[in-house]
Amino acid sequence: MKTILKSARVLCTATFLAGMACAGPAMAESFPNQPVRLVIPYPPGGALSITGAIITAAAEPHLGQPMISLIRAGGGGAVGATFVANSKPDGYTLLLGDPSINVIRPVVEKLPYKASDFVPIARITHSPFVFVASRDAPFSTVKEMVDYAKKNPGKLAYSSDNVNGWTYTAFELFKKQAGVKMRGVEFGGGGPAVTNVLGGNTMAYAGVPSVVKDHLTSGALKAICISDKERYKPLPDIPTCAEEGVDVQWGAWIGILAPKDTPADRLEKLGQTFAALAKDEGFRTLIGRINADLAYLDAKAFEASLKADSDSLRR
Amino acid sequence: MSADLITGILEALSLWPLAAALGGLVMGVIVGAIPGLTASITVAILLPFTFFMPPTVGIGFLLGIYKGAVYGGSIPAILLNTPGTPAAAATSLDGYALTRKGQARRALQLSLYASVFGDLFATMVLIGVAAPLAAVALKFSAPEYAVLFLASLVLIATVSGKDLTKGILSAGAGALIGCIGLDAMTSTQRFIFDVPELLGGVPLVPLIIGMFALSEVLIQVARPPALDLSAAGVQTTGPSLSRSDFMKQIKNLFRSTSIGTFIGALPGLGAEIACWVAYGISRQRSKTPDEFGSGSLEGVAAAESGANATVPATLIPMLIFGIPGDVVTAVLIGAFIAQGITPGPLLFSAHGSVIYALFALLVLTNVALIFVGKVAIRSFSLVIRIPNALLMSCILVVSLAAAYSINSDPYDVVVMVMGGIAGILMRGASIPIPPFIIAVLLAPQLELTVRQSLALSDGDPSIFLTRPISGSLLVLFVAFFTYIIWKFLSAPKASRVVSND
Repeated sequence: MKTILKSARVLCTATFLAGMACAGPAMAESFPNQPVRLVIPYPPGGALSITGAIITAAAEPHLGQPMISLIRAGGGGAVGATFVANSKPDGYTLLLGDPSINVIRPVVEKLPYKASDFVPIARITHSPFVFVASRDAPFSTVKEMVDYAKKNPGKLAYSSDNVNGWTYTAFELFKKQAGVKMRGVEFGGGGPAVTNVLGGNTMAYAGVPSVVKDHLTSGALKAICISDKERYKPLPDIPTCAEEGVDVQWGAWIGILAPKDTPADRLEKLGQTFAALAKDEGFRTLIGRINADLAYLDAKAFEASLKADSDSLRR
Repeated sequence: MSADLITGILEALSLWPLAAALGGLVMGVIVGAIPGLTASITVAILLPFTFFMPPTVGIGFLLGIYKGAVYGGSIPAILLNTPGTPAAAATSLDGYALTRKGQARRALQLSLYASVFGDLFATMVLIGVAAPLAAVALKFSAPEYAVLFLASLVLIATVSGKDLTKGILSAGAGALIGCIGLDAMTSTQRFIFDVPELLGGVPLVPLIIGMFALSEVLIQVARPPALDLSAAGVQTTGPSLSRSDFMKQIKNLFRSTSIGTFIGALPGLGAEIACWVAYGISRQRSKTPDEFGSGSLEGVAAAESGANATVPATLIPMLIFGIPGDVVTAVLIGAFIAQGITPGPLLFSAHGSVIYALFALLVLTNVALIFVGKVAIRSFSLVIRIPNALLMSCILVVSLAAAYSINSDPYDVVVMVMGGIAGILMRGASIPIPPFIIAVLLAPQLELTVRQSLALSDGDPSIFLTRPISGSLLVLFVAFFTYIIWKFLSAPKASRVVSND
């Protein structure tokens, strides 16, 4: 009996040690050899988290390993971003980012991370903003809205999301270009912001098409203009803000970024995965269903676009 | 419309949707009963799987989980003073007290029937009155929410136990803790002290696990209770709920369910708040308010029916306007959208049969919950037979594991442990815990909505009165508050303990 137990113990120890030995060189083997985590820095349910869910669901065949979404919400995205910035740059932890987290806020606020803590891998979607007015608002076009704001300074209240968030920035750019004062009420997110403009508590809002499209069709909201270079194909009747005299070109993108010292070969592999994903039929269908606009950019183009965004903001 | 209705009901009665909904229900009850796992996390994780299933199957599954979890949390709340989900926190107050008195079975059964009642009532409201109710809900903006939050915070006074001052102290501490994080409107950092994890504030789930479960374990270590329920010869779970027990609660159930339905229909408010409001109001209206906290069946019935009524109610703003009421409905919207079904004004005309199918599944799972619940109660009650010492050790391990399992983040475990320590200190000083939890939930929201209201009105505080709904709510609140103060002041001096009623 004692001998059996003794040999069992030896066997266990040997297996244990062998296992530990295997864990060491894991990094040297082909990447990826364990699941990759995509950190989603917002609470579940928003545009970002749904896009993230679609990406992680569709990524496995292209990546070779499952991609899992990890929700680290809080601080308007700061908690998740900091988490990824501080994590090991081995390519297994990625951030699903947006302009608010990666371009604007690091410049204007003191956060525990910097924009340069991340290296872009791929941009997945990009949507322009549709400026909308509530059904009973006393204006329906850009000109009327600007006139109303000029004649009633401080009276026009619009729904905003968070300071330095998507909608906030869209309106700041608009106000600067048009030279008007309008009051934003921060509701914390797209959901409550839309609720309030629908209920007539605020007069205007700016959101991505997937959020406002149905309300435009049903007549609950009126479209004012769209913040892009050219008209938006699925909603061709909406003029661009530039056409109407206020040149605002600003969009929200969702993209994948990695911590800054991730080795180049792993970045390469990840980049290929997302390039393949962008061509994947199943993925494109799902993205189409949520009315997000697939606008894939590879790492170089993404990086250039980020730089352009941040330069234009500094102006 | 009726063609859609028939198609929908027939669709719901086929194999896969039924199986998915029932499977979801069972899974939900189990998930809810495990502290640390909540409906929101489960639904968020399972979301991608539903992309490739037909909508009645995938979404039926998620809805089943949602329902089951809100009920399931009450089981450990009653048996172990460990709410399985934040929605069950109010249930543990009286539920656990009843267990300690050897009456666990009555508490568990009442909790089940109350949950089913609340759920069924709210489902009927959803099916019947969703559209007009949603239109009213849209009129609610920051000023209305502010008044509601203020009124709810005043309810703290009613759950303060014997000493009002200590209740206020507890609420104050809770308010401070609730402030930690980023200010919602200006992203100013508050009380962060350069600890990045605190940017997201103090998370509610581990805090509750710590303050309820861990503190209980530690207190029992210090002072083992006189009645060891597992001792042989003791009637472990106690007598069954009698018919008259249940019928006495009818008025309470209707009232609490209405409260839960109303709160659920308002976007942004959910079961975690509804359970306290229902509990507090039923204590106010009770003929035996002093029993609350030491084993009142009324308290259990109120908390459970209020919390479960929010489940169908949160679907109202979600379906009618595509506006999420809480995290779970936000994920559900994602599930719908990924199926090509966009909740909102065009929903019924474009996808009527799917929606009616889901309504039918909701009603069916309601009925099924009675049976699932009974089985769950029977299985989980065996826990009582475990000797106390062993049980407490298990709870300790489960609390630690549960806190970690939320996000695989050691930060949550730290919060849990600190909650446990805070819990013992508070209980040692007879400072009540519920006001603390309510304040952590509501104080930041109250501040936010007041500031949003003032932003809406450009700094003019009269907005609270000039808006019709908030104005009337405010008047009602002031009247109610005056009434409470008057009753307190007119109580005969001898019995004027510092409490309400």
